[in-house]
Amino acid sequence: MTSQRMLALRRRWPLARWAVPIILLVMLLPFLWLLQMSFKPTPLILEFPPRVFFTPTLEHYVGLWQAGFPESFVNSLITSIVSTVLALLLGIPAAYALSRWTGRGRFGLGLGILLTRMAPPIAFTIPFFLAYRWLGLLDTRTGLILIYMTFNLPLVIWMMQPFFDAVPESLEEAALMDGAGFPTVFFEIVMPMATAGIAATSILCFLYAWNDFFFALILTRTDARTAPVAVVNFMNYEGWEWGKIAAGGSLVMAPVLVFSMLVRRYLVSGLTAGAVKG
Amino acid sequence: MRTTEPLRIDAQRRRLIKAAAATVAVSAGSTLAFPALAQAKPFAGVKLRGAAYQHGFFNILRKYIPEFEAQTGMTVDLQLSAFPVYNQQADLELSSGGSAWDFCNVTFILAARWVAAGLLANLDDFSNDRKLTPASWNPDDFVKGAQLPYLDKAGKTFGYSWEGGAMLMGISRTDLMKKRGVEAPRTFDELMKVCEAVNGQDGGSGPVTGFVSSNLHHWFLPPYIQGYGGDLFVNPPTDIKPALDTPASIEATAFYTTLLSKYGPQGVLGYTEDQARAALISGRSNIFIHSSSWVTAMLTSPDSKVKDTARVMRMPAGPKGDFPASNSQGLGIPKNAKNKEAAWEFIKWTLSPELTARIVKDTGHPSICRRSVIESAEYKRINTVNGQDIGKLYLEVLDMPSKTHNYMAYRTVKEFPLIGDVVNKAVERVVSGQMPPAESMKSAQEAALGSLRRAGAKV
Repeated sequence: MTSQRMLALRRRWPLARWAVPIILLVMLLPFLWLLQMSFKPTPLILEFPPRVFFTPTLEHYVGLWQAGFPESFVNSLITSIVSTVLALLLGIPAAYALSRWTGRGRFGLGLGILLTRMAPPIAFTIPFFLAYRWLGLLDTRTGLILIYMTFNLPLVIWMMQPFFDAVPESLEEAALMDGAGFPTVFFEIVMPMATAGIAATSILCFLYAWNDFFFALILTRTDARTAPVAVVNFMNYEGWEWGKIAAGGSLVMAPVLVFSMLVRRYLVSGLTAGAVKG
Repeated sequence: MRTTEPLRIDAQRRRLIKAAAATVAVSAGSTLAFPALAQAKPFAGVKLRGAAYQHGFFNILRKYIPEFEAQTGMTVDLQLSAFPVYNQQADLELSSGGSAWDFCNVTFILAARWVAAGLLANLDDFSNDRKLTPASWNPDDFVKGAQLPYLDKAGKTFGYSWEGGAMLMGISRTDLMKKRGVEAPRTFDELMKVCEAVNGQDGGSGPVTGFVSSNLHHWFLPPYIQGYGGDLFVNPPTDIKPALDTPASIEATAFYTTLLSKYGPQGVLGYTEDQARAALISGRSNIFIHSSSWVTAMLTSPDSKVKDTARVMRMPAGPKGDFPASNSQGLGIPKNAKNKEAAWEFIKWTLSPELTARIVKDTGHPSICRRSVIESAEYKRINTVNGQDIGKLYLEVLDMPSKTHNYMAYRTVKEFPLIGDVVNKAVERVVSGQMPPAESMKSAQEAALGSLRRAGAKV
């Protein structure tokens, strides 16, 4: 749309200029509400009508600290980062192999790999629970890392394969002709060309692990409890600790926002790669 | 000199013999002492694992647990999670035959299912064994009404209650009631009149609503249904055919939904218990009928603005009788627990009359289930607030299901959670204006029958 047409549209529809701020406000409102709630003194949290202006307090964040929330936060960080790294380490070579494989059954194999993502997590709960209990992996970070890696691996393979498809094989052949070994070709030619894909994939893997509530609820108790489950633990029988829930929720959102902002450029290019041909 | 030589040697020999004898005596004594010590601490070295949901009682108990550990030589690992989290984990742990826990909370709403499915150990084997339990522990001392959820059809015990809940009526604004010339309600009709009289009155910081409740309608509605002569099932726990479309159920639904829609605050359908309590203790709503610990906050909470005008009393009676709801939470032992005797030792200690009395005395914790302690002078002293004997009301209601007939039997039906969901939706439909009470309850009846049949119940 040209700028002249945009101006004409604005003249005809004065509300159009407000559309973005309004949509932005609607989208940000729950987050802002949560954030202001985390700084609100307890007696004011359930006040009706709600107060917009108040003297902020850090009592809920202090409460989180005292309740052992940092341990859960660290559990979330470790399980998310390690499972993402492992999924990438295993998934990238697999995606490359699948990309370069021209034999029959390639599609079938790819589909088979994706099956674990097709079924709802509840379908795997009981088998995993029983197996973990037998293996002594219940309530361990290792157990969570393994399950997140298992579920992220198909995502890595399926997301990375088109990026490797897009790298011309002639480049690799030329490098090989010049005497480069396969590791050099892979790490110095192929991988740099797939950076955007790796960034986008790693964010999605991290988000999946970071936001997971279901498996963490079933497979952890206290030692490996992750941040989302720890937030729910403030819903006590005698009452919900709204301030701590809001503070915990805000903290759970923070790393995702920071991480996403850091790799936003790669994320956009990674997710839209191949969308426009020609 | 010579004569002294043998004497010295003799003395040395005697010292040597004495020392040897002493060494033998000490070592013999110590070898004898070790079994004696071991007998004093038969559970030395045992690591006891247990789980429950987060509750004030367990926070209190944790302060006393070191004493238990010192007495028995055990270490206790008590894992606490939020109520919904614990129930999810416990359900999975018990139904998959797990042995990760030696003791656990037997959740009221799940107790019937866990007991019926044989997931818990029979505690009578421990409490009736005089080698394991002294007569002074007295299982009959637990309030009978609170123990009902933990008994099977044969009367065997699978849990002992550590917490009781008794439905009472909290009135926050007796000042406004006086102004409007109405007394505390004792019948359903009077309740409606009081709500009408107070609703919309200026409470100082805006208009006051006559009534408030939370979204747990499956807990709040049954006393009204029973008050009109009905029940949720035809004859629980034997005949579990739903009875949601009877005239009594429809009349009760109409009554309860009127309280909510006409006299409740805006958005009452979405209210949690917390929000309802906040409305009550801030004086924004006049009447909240719920478990004692929720309504007595008006008198005890530091956030309460209505301490001078608040009153706690029995909930009003219906035309066909008085059926305030009660519940309890129990401690039990999973069927496959590895350390059953050690777990019983812990339960026995936790719920002993001595520790229960100490907890009440030290902390004022009121919702216990031992009759002897509830009836004690100390308990009465602590739980008499503004001249109101809350303990007496609590005991009356907690014991009521065992006095006449077990009208709380509907909660011991293992399929009750399915019916509870149906009831919640039925009430929401009426309050939100989607359906009239009769139509909504007829629809609820069909939905309940469908749910029960799908769950394998023969109805």
